[in-house]
Amino acid sequence: MAAAKSKTTGKSTRKSSGARRIEGARKQAMETGRNRLLVTGIVLSLAFAAIGVRLVDLTVFQAGGEPRLAQIEPNPEVASGRADIVDRNGILLATSLPTASLFADPSAVLNAQEVADKLITELPELNRQELLGKLKTKSRFVWITRNLTPKQHYKVNRLGLPGLGFQRGERRVYPHGRLAAHALGLTDVDGRGIAGLEQNFDRALRAGNRIQVSLDIRIQSMMRQELAAAVREFRAIGAAGVVLDANSGELVSLVSLPDFDPNEPSSAGPETAFNRVTKGVYEMGSTFKLFTAAMALDSGTVDLNSSYDASQPIKISRFTIRDFHAKNRWLSVPEIIVYSSNIGAAKMAVDVGTKTQRDYLDRFGLLRPAALELPEVGKPLVPKRWRKINTMTIAYGYGIAVSPLQLASGVAVLVNGGRYVPPTVLKTVAGNSSTGKRVLSEETSELMRGLMRLVVTNGTGRKAAAKGYIVGGKTGTTDKLAVRGYRKNATLSSFVGAFPMNAPRYIVLVMVDEPKGNKRTFNYATGGWVAAPAVGRVIQRMASLIGMAPDRQPEPAKVPVKKPMIKASTPPKASPGISKRKTAAAPPPAPITVSRASPSPAPRRNDSAADETLMLQRVRAVLDVRDKKSEADAVGPPEQALATY
Amino acid sequence: MSDQILGGPEQTIRQKLWQIHWFFVFIVMVTASVGFAMLYSAGGGDVNPWARPHALRFGFGILVMICVAVIDTRLWLRYAYAIYFVVLLLLVAVDISGNMGMGARRWINVGFINLQPSEMMKIAMVLALARYFHGGSIEDVRRPTFLISPLLIIAAPIVLVMRQPDLGTGLILLITAAGLFFMAGVSIWKFTLVGVFGLAAAPIAWQFLHEYQRKRVLTFLNPENDPLGAGYHIIQSKIAFGSGGLSGRGFMQGTQGHLNFLPEMQTDFIFTMLSEELGLIGGLALLALYVLLLVYGIAISFRSRSHFGCLLGMGVTTTFFLYVFINMAMVMGVIPIVGVPLPLISYGGTAMLTLLFGFGLLMGIWVHRDVMIGRRGAADDG
Repeated sequence: MAAAKSKTTGKSTRKSSGARRIEGARKQAMETGRNRLLVTGIVLSLAFAAIGVRLVDLTVFQAGGEPRLAQIEPNPEVASGRADIVDRNGILLATSLPTASLFADPSAVLNAQEVADKLITELPELNRQELLGKLKTKSRFVWITRNLTPKQHYKVNRLGLPGLGFQRGERRVYPHGRLAAHALGLTDVDGRGIAGLEQNFDRALRAGNRIQVSLDIRIQSMMRQELAAAVREFRAIGAAGVVLDANSGELVSLVSLPDFDPNEPSSAGPETAFNRVTKGVYEMGSTFKLFTAAMALDSGTVDLNSSYDASQPIKISRFTIRDFHAKNRWLSVPEIIVYSSNIGAAKMAVDVGTKTQRDYLDRFGLLRPAALELPEVGKPLVPKRWRKINTMTIAYGYGIAVSPLQLASGVAVLVNGGRYVPPTVLKTVAGNSSTGKRVLSEETSELMRGLMRLVVTNGTGRKAAAKGYIVGGKTGTTDKLAVRGYRKNATLSSFVGAFPMNAPRYIVLVMVDEPKGNKRTFNYATGGWVAAPAVGRVIQRMASLIGMAPDRQPEPAKVPVKKPMIKASTPPKASPGISKRKTAAAPPPAPITVSRASPSPAPRRNDSAADETLMLQRVRAVLDVRDKKSEADAVGPPEQALATY
Repeated sequence: MSDQILGGPEQTIRQKLWQIHWFFVFIVMVTASVGFAMLYSAGGGDVNPWARPHALRFGFGILVMICVAVIDTRLWLRYAYAIYFVVLLLLVAVDISGNMGMGARRWINVGFINLQPSEMMKIAMVLALARYFHGGSIEDVRRPTFLISPLLIIAAPIVLVMRQPDLGTGLILLITAAGLFFMAGVSIWKFTLVGVFGLAAAPIAWQFLHEYQRKRVLTFLNPENDPLGAGYHIIQSKIAFGSGGLSGRGFMQGTQGHLNFLPEMQTDFIFTMLSEELGLIGGLALLALYVLLLVYGIAISFRSRSHFGCLLGMGVTTTFFLYVFINMAMVMGVIPIVGVPLPLISYGGTAMLTLLFGFGLLMGIWVHRDVMIGRRGAADDG
């Protein structure tokens, strides 16, 4: 540039004075221009540098919640003798089988054509061209196929072909296929746990310690069938289901759809491997009103006589809070729950106060990730600054996202007498269920049981009723967030139930993702139409399985509750006796005869050693016919499968 | 034709082709290939629906770029205003058709392609301003009255674009224009004055913003306030960066993107997806490619012997820079979300075509770097 400058200067001196002035002025303009250009260039480059710094900051220093570096554990040793995982009744869920893998030493193969032909007669799944290619390579070692069954091993060995060899190994087998896939997780080809329980207890399993989980594979199977039926019927994109022991915190069932077959690791794609129950966090909607009512009752802010004006939508800053089943009048606390009034819940929460609300939600375990023994635990999304508007929307379950597991274990507090018991996937020792932090008083818990029962007898959850069992619960239907922040017509429909309501033992939660209404449901895809019936069916089926006798008499509590509740236009006088009357009228519950510690194993099948032998046989058989059998067969209820062997 | 009108040393087409800065073209191609790979990943490991059209459009764009590059810079100077007015008319047409409810307000359908005049305006405005300032001396530039016409040149398209409403394009036009004013030698105190007035007028402008635009600004100021509403995208985006970490989750392994936590991962948020899958290393590598293009852009403008070439080159380079900067800064939460694609990577035809056209002009400036142009557009006698 300097050279160009001096050249121009030299040239301009030869011109006339007028021309020189113009030349000079223009040169000056050029100079200013060039300096400015340089400044601009520097500014642009600095801006890019800033972007680079920000990138480093975001990727390395902020680490977005998941500490990646800490997770990487170099573990070169080859796994051997990985221990089994069994369910709460001792049914085998995951085991390791010795296998043989076939390799070849191409330099020792005499006639590649002949070897290929003979191998294919025994192992028809091999590709002839590919096999020939492998046998003709220059290397001294090439895998032909992995994990032969004992029968295949025997047959190939009997061919007596030189140049072939077997590598002894171990293969992880999940006899129930995809039934408990998300809880169990996966192992990689080297036998290391890479997801679920397999990852969490990797060390213990490798050290040979058998793990007994809290799942009951029979209830798991029922839950999966009902969820799959709901997904099919409502053309949903997924579903989540939980059965939780309300007293011990044990997860009896955990199902997330779509799922994968851990025997076929390639089926574990990002969609299918995602655990909606523990990892996914969702806005739960109306089911949160239960927590609002519980904290209001427990803190003494309201009693059942209190009522709120739900005749007008609430306007606050740019939001309007409306009711879905608007009644346009004053509603009592029970009516707020039964009719699922957003306005009432919001007003109640404001009376409770922001700080108290946050306090209670925290103690319900809703603000922190659940301390579960699985690596896939989602962090709830909670507002950083909790304003009045947050308090109001959280009262009915918007503006806060928690995992279905957190919701279930929060509801357990409401019905189990008011104690928070951390959820677990491990079977707890019988009689050890008395631990847990007190969150609510016994009295509040009793009132909540009454309210939840009302939802099923008189409210939005009527379809969750299971004949002969006293079910209570709450529906929830939320609009999902759309890509650009607008809300489209996609919903999340859920129902969280508990039973039996006079002495609750189980929380049953079903959540269906983006269901579409059909003719049978009059195009409704709400929690009451989609999730509640599924919960009802699960309860109906599992109750008889765990030996809970149905109560054949009509429930006496239902009749007296109904009239004053619904008909009263000035609610206060009607409400007070409800829960007392109800609990007083309920018959001495049949289930008390069942042992409280754990669901008893089904009759006739309590010899777990025999079960295990049977399962092992089945495992081998499944392995033999794995390729031909459709996955549906492998997934069927274990009882049925066992009966065929 | 051009040599008779404009005079000066001439090169044949073959010479011009030889003169094109092929290394620059190579970097452009590498960058576009990164885009192809990311769109392949975003499509779930399939060339459809995004990667294939992207490649086809890029191929077409490169041809356009080379054609533009061999056209004499003086021709662009000559038709600069004409081009500007045609594009301005198109913008008005879009505005009117939008008001009359004849479909989308940003596009004009001309049969085989959807024209987006607001994109074309980014180049047209630079052309017009470069021509205007090329014709003025430093004394001219010092006179405030001299600045009235260029201010009108800027104001007309910006008003039309903001009416669409397209905040991102409006912003790019405004900043590019400010940059050109600065480089043309407009004195600093005038910028200060406008800046002060601008700040004073901000509360009034706030009234005219759309509800969703206001929300975006507020969300930018504190995204965690509303993690499930307007702050959702930026939080998910930041999580994705953290999830990628140093070396990334691996190509096609990004969970945030593939599980649909990331919005619009094939367009505006593609850099987030890239950083999650390829990590800091991948992100910085892409940034390095962009910096290389930027540096070449500045160097080429610098090397031009005509004021017009200088300004045009820097205008194009600034536009390019703004695309990259605004997009990256927005997905990393440095500035509010305004909806600007990432050049050569994001899915979308018009922005890519605009950019390659601009790069064509830049190449043209390089090819004709030694052509001197007098103030009235005639060749300099030197």
